Amino acid sequence: MEYTKPLPRINSDNREFWEGCRNHELRFQKCASCGHIRFPASYVCPKCLRKDFQWIVSAGIGKVYTYAVYHVAYHQGFLEDLPYVVAVVELQEGPRLLTNIVGCPPEEVSCEMPVTVVWKDATPDISLPMFRPL
Amino acid sequence: MLDAGLCRYVLISYGHNALSSDSLFTMLMDFAGDDAVFGHFGATGGYALAARRAMHEFNTGPQTWKHIAVAQRAWANLNPQAMMYDKPMSFDDYLSSKYVVEPLRLPDNCLVNDGGRAVIVTTLERARDLKHRPAVILGLGQHNPSVQVTQSGILTGSTGARKACETALSIAGITRDDIDACQIYDCFTYTVELTLQDYGFFEPGEGESWFSGGTTGPGGRMPVNTSGGQLSEAYYMGLTPLSEAAMQIMGRCGDRQLGPATQTKEPNIILVSDNGGILQTHSCCILGRI
Repeated sequence: MEYTKPLPRINSDNREFWEGCRNHELRFQKCASCGHIRFPASYVCPKCLRKDFQWIVSAGIGKVYTYAVYHVAYHQGFLEDLPYVVAVVELQEGPRLLTNIVGCPPEEVSCEMPVTVVWKDATPDISLPMFRPL
Repeated sequence: MLDAGLCRYVLISYGHNALSSDSLFTMLMDFAGDDAVFGHFGATGGYALAARRAMHEFNTGPQTWKHIAVAQRAWANLNPQAMMYDKPMSFDDYLSSKYVVEPLRLPDNCLVNDGGRAVIVTTLERARDLKHRPAVILGLGQHNPSVQVTQSGILTGSTGARKACETALSIAGITRDDIDACQIYDCFTYTVELTLQDYGFFEPGEGESWFSGGTTGPGGRMPVNTSGGQLSEAYYMGLTPLSEAAMQIMGRCGDRQLGPATQTKEPNIILVSDNGGILQTHSCCILGRI
């Protein structure tokens, strides 16, 4: 079935992240200078402004920092999902990312709830990191 | 520029056909970027994330926000120019309204409308000769700790509001106790709560009791958004609160005029706020009578 939702726009900064996702890995940049693990991908470390870094793979475990339940579809592709949960998940390694909480009813989601990554294979090239209760 | 004599008048204007065109929707969709991949769009979603985290950290939620929405609607019911002039709203109306992006309901959101607003700034010397009593800029402050919503650590305060207000009060040479009314940028009810909280009117979690009993409505001890604001008059970005503050100080507000007509304090000093992004930028302005 054709995928009807928006897809990420790949650029030189985020290509490694989305290639990781295709392999069902959450990859983040770790600053070689101060050790800060950052997201979204960027040319310099937002903490120390140095350029050198290594890619690390996250364990994919974190907690819900905050969330919102959509009762309106601003894009037709999400109509069948209503109501759905958008959340900011804070991973154990530190980065926070915008994502969806799946695998439980919206009313069971709460701030600080432990979650683990699950993969939504949108297209052959794009897999989306989503999270479910741990 | 005015002080330096480079110009005599500055026009600040805003106009938008947001309701009759798709331009506002298009702008917000463009802002979404890759957040759209996860179905996250527009301002309501961002403020819903902020408001939900606030509900986790301190006592807030619909029982606080209903006071803000209902008080502003009562002001709008005194303002013939307000979109919601002839639409009263009760607490029950608020609590039974639909969610847009939970925890924010429809009346937690600002309006979408066509229209415009403008103010003219000139020197005090020139303003003294004009027909209306001048609204004098007593103080200004800005603070912009701009971080995108997913990485923000200030969704629950303190936002840029705190430093912006401190600066404005300092320039004006007054304290918060001297403020007679507030015109607060109200893209959402939660923005009003958080701004007043950051300004120090109450401690985190005390908003529900501070707002209850009609504190900010007609007859209240701290009137807020006396035109109905962006929630119930019309959305003109920062020009809704700024123009209302100036009009109140000039005494041109008819049935909603602060003072004896509405059993409120004379508006000698009004605090005005503006806020941008998802709680990312903030400016504070204090207008007064002379």
